[in-house]
Amino acid sequence: MTAGIKLPVTEIQRFSTQDGPGIRTTVFLKGCPLRCLWCHNPETLSKQPEILYIEQNCMHCGVCVNVCNNKAHFFNKDGIHVYNAKHCKSCLMCAGVCPATAIKAVGIQMTVDEIMDVIGKDEKFYGTSGGVTISGGEPLLYLNGCLDILRRVKGLGYSAAIDTSGYFDTDNADNDCLNELIELTDLFLWDYKITNNEKHRDYTGVGNERILHNLHLFNKKNAVIALRCILIKNINTNPEHYRGIASVYHSLNRCAGIYLIPYHPYGSSKSKQLGQPDNANPDWVPHDRDISDAKNALLALHCPENVLL
Amino acid sequence: MRFHSVLPEGRPIRLREETRLFAWESLQGKYGDEVMAFGGVHMDDVPDFGLLSKQEQYDLALIKIASEAPIRICPHEAVSGAATCGLAVKHFVPAMYNGEPLWVSVSHMTLGFDRVLYEGMDAIEAKINNAYASSPDNPELKGMGNAIRAMRIWHKRYIAALGCTRPDIAEILSRVPFQPALNFYEAVQSLWFTFAFTRLCGNWSGIGRIDEMLGPYLEQDIKRGLQTPESAREILASFFIKGCEWIQSKPEIYGGDAQHYQNIVLAGVDKNGNEITNTVTYLVLEIVEELGISDFPIAVRVNAKTPKALLIKMAEVIRHGGGVVAVYNESLIIGALADNGYTLEEARCFANDGCWEVIMPGKTRFSYVPFDALQLLLENTLRLSNDPACYENIDELYDAFLKAMENKIAEIYTNMTIHFTGGGPDIPWVWRTDTDGKYDWLWPPMVPCSAVSLFSEGCLASGRSYLHGGSTYVMVSPHIGGAPDVGNSLFAIQKLVFEERKVTFPQLMQILQDNWEGNEELRQYALNKYDYFGNDNDEADVFTTRILNDFADIVLRYKGKCPVQFPPGVSTFGRQIEWAPYRAAVPFGRKRGEILSGNLSPTPSTDTQGATAVIKSYCKANHRKLSNGSALDLKLHPSAVTGKNGVHALISLVEGFVALGGFFMQTDMMDAEILRLAQEHPEDYKTLSVRISGWNARFVTLDKTWQKMIIERTAQRTV
Repeated sequence: MTAGIKLPVTEIQRFSTQDGPGIRTTVFLKGCPLRCLWCHNPETLSKQPEILYIEQNCMHCGVCVNVCNNKAHFFNKDGIHVYNAKHCKSCLMCAGVCPATAIKAVGIQMTVDEIMDVIGKDEKFYGTSGGVTISGGEPLLYLNGCLDILRRVKGLGYSAAIDTSGYFDTDNADNDCLNELIELTDLFLWDYKITNNEKHRDYTGVGNERILHNLHLFNKKNAVIALRCILIKNINTNPEHYRGIASVYHSLNRCAGIYLIPYHPYGSSKSKQLGQPDNANPDWVPHDRDISDAKNALLALHCPENVLL
Repeated sequence: MRFHSVLPEGRPIRLREETRLFAWESLQGKYGDEVMAFGGVHMDDVPDFGLLSKQEQYDLALIKIASEAPIRICPHEAVSGAATCGLAVKHFVPAMYNGEPLWVSVSHMTLGFDRVLYEGMDAIEAKINNAYASSPDNPELKGMGNAIRAMRIWHKRYIAALGCTRPDIAEILSRVPFQPALNFYEAVQSLWFTFAFTRLCGNWSGIGRIDEMLGPYLEQDIKRGLQTPESAREILASFFIKGCEWIQSKPEIYGGDAQHYQNIVLAGVDKNGNEITNTVTYLVLEIVEELGISDFPIAVRVNAKTPKALLIKMAEVIRHGGGVVAVYNESLIIGALADNGYTLEEARCFANDGCWEVIMPGKTRFSYVPFDALQLLLENTLRLSNDPACYENIDELYDAFLKAMENKIAEIYTNMTIHFTGGGPDIPWVWRTDTDGKYDWLWPPMVPCSAVSLFSEGCLASGRSYLHGGSTYVMVSPHIGGAPDVGNSLFAIQKLVFEERKVTFPQLMQILQDNWEGNEELRQYALNKYDYFGNDNDEADVFTTRILNDFADIVLRYKGKCPVQFPPGVSTFGRQIEWAPYRAAVPFGRKRGEILSGNLSPTPSTDTQGATAVIKSYCKANHRKLSNGSALDLKLHPSAVTGKNGVHALISLVEGFVALGGFFMQTDMMDAEILRLAQEHPEDYKTLSVRISGWNARFVTLDKTWQKMIIERTAQRTV
């Protein structure tokens, strides 16, 4: 037990129905080694706390301008509130004083006890299949923290899942810790983004060698793994990638399914709130046709229908 | 033909094409338009009609309705009988005199149709004749006999009309409903014909436990090879399609159509405690799943032993949207009824009045009296309209509110006794030999209602009508509305005034009188800084919980004081709209005139933590004390329940609701975008139904205020 460990949490979302079986509470941890151009949750990239500025809720009262020592909030000459993220030192004072819901702090440090208090609230809804998903960011950047949560969660009898990019350090990790992680985790939701390694590097900032290495390592250790494959039109909606998915699927001993997740541009509103450029690209949104093509391709590659979720 | 669903894959197809077409035409208003063409019968040609007693007038009217109402036989119907008088759709007995309808009809009840199936109308008539023989001066008993005669006239007209075109149905009708039903087909026809007759006479009854009534007939027929689930589904579908006979193509726009209170209760235990879920339970859900018919609001009684397959089917139907299927927490309700003095056997038989108010089918004459608890707080306790009050601490304020609520309940009780007896609350009871020899009131006669009394236990034995205190139970339930708004107001005062001292009490009262004008910063603070009822925040929820528990205790002080049952309940139905213009601004940041909490649901847009948090906040009250019913409206975004996991998630919500001690939950799938499209193109969304409160309505039949309320009402979503 690592007493007093604190984790940067962007959000704990109750009543999650898309992050594993049943009703789940999803704990989003902050910090990610990948920089996917399409990122849906840009507020989870940095490990540091950040603020989101939600313009439509702003009443231009100026309270935040008065507390900010770094000029991250100011009024321009037209009297419009501007948020300059570059100047923000993450003191989060502004979020505390904003009377509207225009400034939201993300990445608050929480103890495992505090996290467990929220998780416990929905105990009656978990039933036999629901439970907890630790997501991010990349939750396995915090292997010990995850283990602390998982031990508590499994002690209470809830289902436990980890939603991972697969990109984390296993070479220097304690083998007992890895074994315990796999022992405690009922399901790994494992991203598999792009088969072509060069493209993977171009679009996510890292190559996929480590991800595949870890995937096979976990597979060898008998982990239950579901593949989460985002479909991005013109980037990975191609036969090479479908063959890659099928090949990974066939290499897994205990595959719980392949989720085909169409890209959506909703992450862009969060980019704006973070004071970053809009990363949305409508050309990336796959059509229904693209999704059914992907399904058909995987069926033809002997991925059974019941695993395509 | 596309029966509206929020799921892109649409609804399943199981019924025959003709049956589906029949449903489609009914839902588009074909038969409802015909109904509106004939308002009702005219009594002006009856000599000296004005000199007759009300009962005599009513008796003649029923005979005339039965003789003259248009006969309608639809090409693809499997059961016959149609309530074809337009005044009935408007809640009148369809008989006019001097150009005016004569009487308002009866609703908010579930009649004892089961007795007709098992015994037949002939047997009921024989009982009436016996009773009448021993008290020949009793006009109400005579009226009940007359109602059966009217039914017989109408029945003969149908047999004659069906003889040429549908001899198969004529043959079944030659036995039922006058003789006991012997098989499933006869039972469905008997139930429909009897129900349709009460509707023909203007009354809106619930159906009650249809699977308990029809299931054993079907199981027996399947064993004997007379029916298959498929053939039975076609027959039963006619029942549901014909139940849409009052839908019009161009309905009046008001609070929504499809609210004729024809409720159905499914599943749960029988009077011996055995689960009754059977093939009919599933067929009903499959029919609703396929056709999206929302005219029969369905409540499923869920308990710890509910079959998993039933939970799955229920979740699959709920997922299509329309809000047709709701959930009762059966064990809690049976416990609540037992606390109220029912035997366990009788408590297990509960059904509802047409929304969710719990009553005994075929035995209870029900009504309720709503009041606005928020208005009590704002006007009686805070006195915002004249000289605002000042309280030193939150307990002092709460005690003052409680006093106001006690006075309100006393007033409701007194008015109820005056209504029934003409006297005050201390009206003496008398020893009556006609009601199994017990103390009772001398009830003054009310408007005649023989077509209803026939099917309500107690009326025959007492010789008094349904409205004349004749039913086994008479129930009047005070209903609290706006409790979450009161709870939120108290919580905000506690925080702003007494804890954080942002403002003084008099300052806050002035701010509310000014409708928050000039105090936008504080208003935003009050709106946003606190997690109000609906977010599973104990600090906030304790206020609403305390209000509800104290309300129940105050009402329960009247238990046993008079022959009328007086159980506490919670509702607003749509009244939060009517109440809005009269309410002042509230301490939690809402301005004057805003539409606030409905039923026992969070105030719109105050709940941000998702559906599980809403359920948890709601479940903190002691619902076992609120035995007439306390409803939670849960709005889910379709994206929250997509895919296979969506079904499991919905079931988990229901199981959590039951485990946490909820009472009644109505879940609707809502996509504000679709509702906005429906506002723009109503012609494309005629079959889009939404849950209003205890009932459903087609969205396009709601006026703009109601539509706005539905759109704004919280739609929980996860993305």
